[in-house]
Amino acid sequence: MATKSAEQITIDLLRPLSGISGRWAFAVAILGGVVVAALSAFGYQIYAGLGVSGLRMPVFWGFYITNFVFWIGLSHAGTLISAILRLANATWRRPVTRCAEVITVFALSIGATFPLIHLGRPWLAFFLFPYPSERGIWPNIRSPLLWDFFAINTYLISSVTFLLLPMVPDFALVRDRAEGMKKKIYGVLALGWTGTPKQWHRLETAMHIMAIAVIPVAVSVHSIVSWDFAMAPVPMWHSTIFAPYFVAGAIFSGIAALILAMALLRKFLHLEEYLLPIHFENLGKLLLVMSLLWFYFVFAERLTAWYGNESSEMAVFWTTQHGSYSPLFWTMVCCNFLIPFPILAIKKLRTITGTAIASFTVVIGMWLERFLIIVPSLSHKYLTYSWGTYRPTWVEITITAGTFCAMALLYMIFSKIVPIISIWELKAGQHLKTQAVRLVVRSSEAGAD
Amino acid sequence: MSHQWGMAIDLDRCTGCEACVVACHAENNISTVGEEQAELRRAKHWIRVERYYEGEFPDVTVKFMPVFCQQCDAAPCEPVCPTFASYHTSEGLNGQVYNRCIGTRYCANACPYVVRYFNFYNPVWDKPLHLQLNPDVSVREVGVMEKCTFCVQRIKAGEIQAEAEKRELKDGAIQPACVQSCPTRAMVFGDLSDPESEVSRLAHSGRSTKLLGELGTRPKVNYLPRDSWHGNEIS
Amino acid sequence: MPSPPVIYGLFADPESADRGMNALHRAEISSKKIVVMSAEPFDDYSFAKMDHHTPMPWIAATGGVVGGTCGFLLARLTQVAYPINTGGMPILAAWPTGIVTYELTMLGAVLTTVVTLLITTKLPNWKSKLYDEEVSNGKILIGVLDPSDAARAEIENRLRGAGAVKVKATNPHH
Repeated sequence: MATKSAEQITIDLLRPLSGISGRWAFAVAILGGVVVAALSAFGYQIYAGLGVSGLRMPVFWGFYITNFVFWIGLSHAGTLISAILRLANATWRRPVTRCAEVITVFALSIGATFPLIHLGRPWLAFFLFPYPSERGIWPNIRSPLLWDFFAINTYLISSVTFLLLPMVPDFALVRDRAEGMKKKIYGVLALGWTGTPKQWHRLETAMHIMAIAVIPVAVSVHSIVSWDFAMAPVPMWHSTIFAPYFVAGAIFSGIAALILAMALLRKFLHLEEYLLPIHFENLGKLLLVMSLLWFYFVFAERLTAWYGNESSEMAVFWTTQHGSYSPLFWTMVCCNFLIPFPILAIKKLRTITGTAIASFTVVIGMWLERFLIIVPSLSHKYLTYSWGTYRPTWVEITITAGTFCAMALLYMIFSKIVPIISIWELKAGQHLKTQAVRLVVRSSEAGAD
Repeated sequence: MSHQWGMAIDLDRCTGCEACVVACHAENNISTVGEEQAELRRAKHWIRVERYYEGEFPDVTVKFMPVFCQQCDAAPCEPVCPTFASYHTSEGLNGQVYNRCIGTRYCANACPYVVRYFNFYNPVWDKPLHLQLNPDVSVREVGVMEKCTFCVQRIKAGEIQAEAEKRELKDGAIQPACVQSCPTRAMVFGDLSDPESEVSRLAHSGRSTKLLGELGTRPKVNYLPRDSWHGNEIS
Repeated sequence: MPSPPVIYGLFADPESADRGMNALHRAEISSKKIVVMSAEPFDDYSFAKMDHHTPMPWIAATGGVVGGTCGFLLARLTQVAYPINTGGMPILAAWPTGIVTYELTMLGAVLTTVVTLLITTKLPNWKSKLYDEEVSNGKILIGVLDPSDAARAEIENRLRGAGAVKVKATNPHH
């Protein structure tokens, strides 16, 4: 990337914050409409009862838990990019960190609404909270759902702070260039930041500590979500592979979501000079690795099940591979592996468009994967008399559509309020690069003497 | 030692008449869900008669058995409930506390027998059926899980009565609705911790087998399958 | 709290800022009275190498230990307070206790880090007037707090000599 002046960076990255185009307003209206429809569907469900969904015996978990696992999984984007790349000192991460962290916070928030949406009596959800109630009862921490409660809340708090803290210097930048009410609001948000070396150093130390802390939290979150399934004696659920399989799948879907978000931001916010083909190349390579890893986990799980030949497991195995769930299963394999693999493996195809297409199919494939973990197993438990089917209703479909639109909507609003690329981190990266070049030149000059 | 309630079902005597199903509905305030909902597999038959057909016409064998909550000693539905709505009582029953249930349905997924039922809608009793409701049993609202309790209201009533009259509980004095209504007396209910009780005798007979016992749930219902069923397997 | 009077120079790049800092050091001005502000971190330049020692990682670790203890106690005490047999599992379940302890350890570390950050940087501080919006335009501010009247002119000269684009002073009588 050609070194840009600090002023140019500031102008380019603050441009999206000024003004709203008609196109933006139109998109927000449509997305907002779907979100409102989804909220209404949820309201209707509370009023009428969960009977309005497609759930039934024996499939008591369907679209809602699929969405829950999917969105929590997607939220692992930020952790990987921000935290791991930060700790590995990968300098190319700088324009990408905030995009990733925003995905994490919003995806996690959306995912965390689903325990509420899928409850039979959501108005009593506070029973999950460990408080000294007058009934003298505490929640059951032997339940994986309680582990979910602690893990997701910890991850949410950690991600939100991980996102908000480095936003403070950028708020200060916006504050200094704004007038009137905008200046006042951003002034409050900037917390009075002035940019002394002490503030910078403490901020960077805090980010470093949190990067170290948030990685094990993210791993634990999706392991715990996977244990919602693995702890129950359901055929093809009760498997030790679930925790690493889910974490790998989460990172996989997270990177795909990040590439998609970046491709869209690049196009609509005209960030062609900041989100470069090299970023998509690098993320594309990571996505390729995760695709291979996903394939490896699915292969290992299915080989073990097939070889074990346990009758109730084989019922689930065959229904996904040859039976009524096979169209979805093979679509999933195409979307997660057969299509992305050649696109990401061949350098010529690993362009921005290529990685975006691959990421789009991966997002679809990973949603299908969550569905195929939950529903076929519940449909085919031990006693064949109790085998059943599942079909979602308009309520579940609307709410699912609403979550995707909510994600897009939140992202669009966010990119209008906060610079979507971390300006100070980008500038810091630039001058570190020029400093390094200068040292190299100096040492080579010294050597030439 | 406290009572450990269990049951024995003699499948040789069971005719599949489903009187037990009706009796259970009547005793435990279980509403019917209507034709549409029943097609969607949302009927709440705490006890159901499972039928398995084998062979081609005219050599068809039907194997059937009543299946209901097995009150497992190592119940998989209990540890997974976040609010302790599903728990194990001191008398060996799996208790379901309706007031604590927030409807996560994790217990229903964890139960290998699929004997836990969810109230997808508020239960309705068309008049005048509402006059038939049992005052000893609570009516569950929408969003709450329910299942067979071995008619715990009758157990409690029997125990309280015996204590008040300062006498021991006689074997066979307490009968859940299904046991009481069975015309062939295929179902026996009693105290498994009492070696003299009818249910203990049947449980220790050579014919007794447990449904899905290999899963380690330690169910309390002992099935005595017909000798004519190959190798005493139920499948 | 009224801001102290200050004389500062605005430098266009980190090299001249370094020269300015050196000039102030040669004038034997104590580091406690020197103030630096910039729009990005300049960790690799000497003018920004102030206040770099921090026990923040240790504080975060302590916060983690505190969080973990809270998690452990929460798990243990609630299990004892409401002992219920579920699935034949022990009343004091070790693995779930471990999980809850772990999550609250991490939460403790994160929250402690955030709080420590806010306290050591004295944020939020919306009242301080010690700032110049030129800093956002990429200028590096290096100045002296509460200069003695005698030293004022010398400081100004040194800053200009080091290459300050602008030198400003706030009136001590404001």
